[in-house]
Amino acid sequence: MRGSTPLGKVLGYGSAKDGAGHWWVQRVTAVALVPLTIWFVLSLASLPLADHAAVTAWMRQSLHAVPLSVLILTLCWHARLGVQVVLEDYVHHHGIKVTSLLLSTFLHALLASTGVFAVLRIAFAV
Amino acid sequence: MAEFQLPPGSRISNDGKTFKAPEGAKKVRRFQIYRFDPDSGQNPRVDTYEIDMATCGPMVLDALIKIKNEIDPTLSFRRSCREGICGSCAMNIDGSNTLACIKSCADVKGADVRIYPLPHMPVIKDLIPDLTQFYAQYAAVKPWLTTRSPAPPDGERLQSKEDQEKIDGPSACILCACCSTSCPSYWWNSDRYLGPAALLAAYRWIVDSRDDSTGERLDALEDPFRLYRCHTIMNCTEACPKDLNPARAIGEIKRMIAGRRH
Repeated sequence: MRGSTPLGKVLGYGSAKDGAGHWWVQRVTAVALVPLTIWFVLSLASLPLADHAAVTAWMRQSLHAVPLSVLILTLCWHARLGVQVVLEDYVHHHGIKVTSLLLSTFLHALLASTGVFAVLRIAFAV
Repeated sequence: MAEFQLPPGSRISNDGKTFKAPEGAKKVRRFQIYRFDPDSGQNPRVDTYEIDMATCGPMVLDALIKIKNEIDPTLSFRRSCREGICGSCAMNIDGSNTLACIKSCADVKGADVRIYPLPHMPVIKDLIPDLTQFYAQYAAVKPWLTTRSPAPPDGERLQSKEDQEKIDGPSACILCACCSTSCPSYWWNSDRYLGPAALLAAYRWIVDSRDDSTGERLDALEDPFRLYRCHTIMNCTEACPKDLNPARAIGEIKRMIAGRRH
């Protein structure tokens, strides 16, 4: 933290000129998750018997595999942004904060790609 | 990490003193007041004062002044106007930040009136918090008119009635710090988050029709910590003794910054 006067400390290194994108995308993904989640829950609930065979058969249809992939990507993106807020709020050690943010990004990317890969693998299974 | 427990020297000890009401008191009310004296080297404590409300004014500040005048002159607190316009006597009464001079003792529901300094600020003595950083945050938003257009040769910079009404609300802020010190985001990150009071002041100049540096003001605020630590918790609006709405002003600032991108 730079500055030796109270005002110098508050001004620090100046504005990062950043944060609006994060704020906007967090809201856009939140709104997008409303219909996607309702669709997903209703679809599974309307299956007569939601066993493994029935769910994989349902996922195999393009009309389901595409929005399911979108749901997974949106969910992971939204979660990544949310976890960032929590870390920035509560972790004050700079090194630990940056490391946790990177780890969180990698973890969410791994979750998203694994999820989409699983959907595609089922969808394209012969 | 964020502090979820007070540091050892700040924890409240159990050796508070009790000052009994005088004989023959008719309407006794107990006031539990946070006491801290940095020179004593001791931890803070909570003293209990029994006051005869039959011989005391109605407001919490009346009771504090009565205690200082008649019972315990060592009790320290800030006060000045006693009518809710100077903001000096901001403190935490019955769990909420407010001004002692306009908070009626009768409005405190519990049996005892609990009085603490504004939360999560360094305490100078008893109910007096150190507001140095709070004032620096106010100064940081450049709370004055900045213009590039020349002033009219024959008078003031005029403003329409509608434009004046936009700044009537935020101009009424008395900088008592009730809002900022009620905000959990401010508790955890006051070193980088400007807090609702400073952001309301920034908004007051952003929406001023005579000011020419709206863009620069938004630039200075667009920062993950300075502005976006606000998570719309709304404690600020809940606490404001002047019934202002800092949460709405912060929301408007975020909307303006998002809006200028498209």
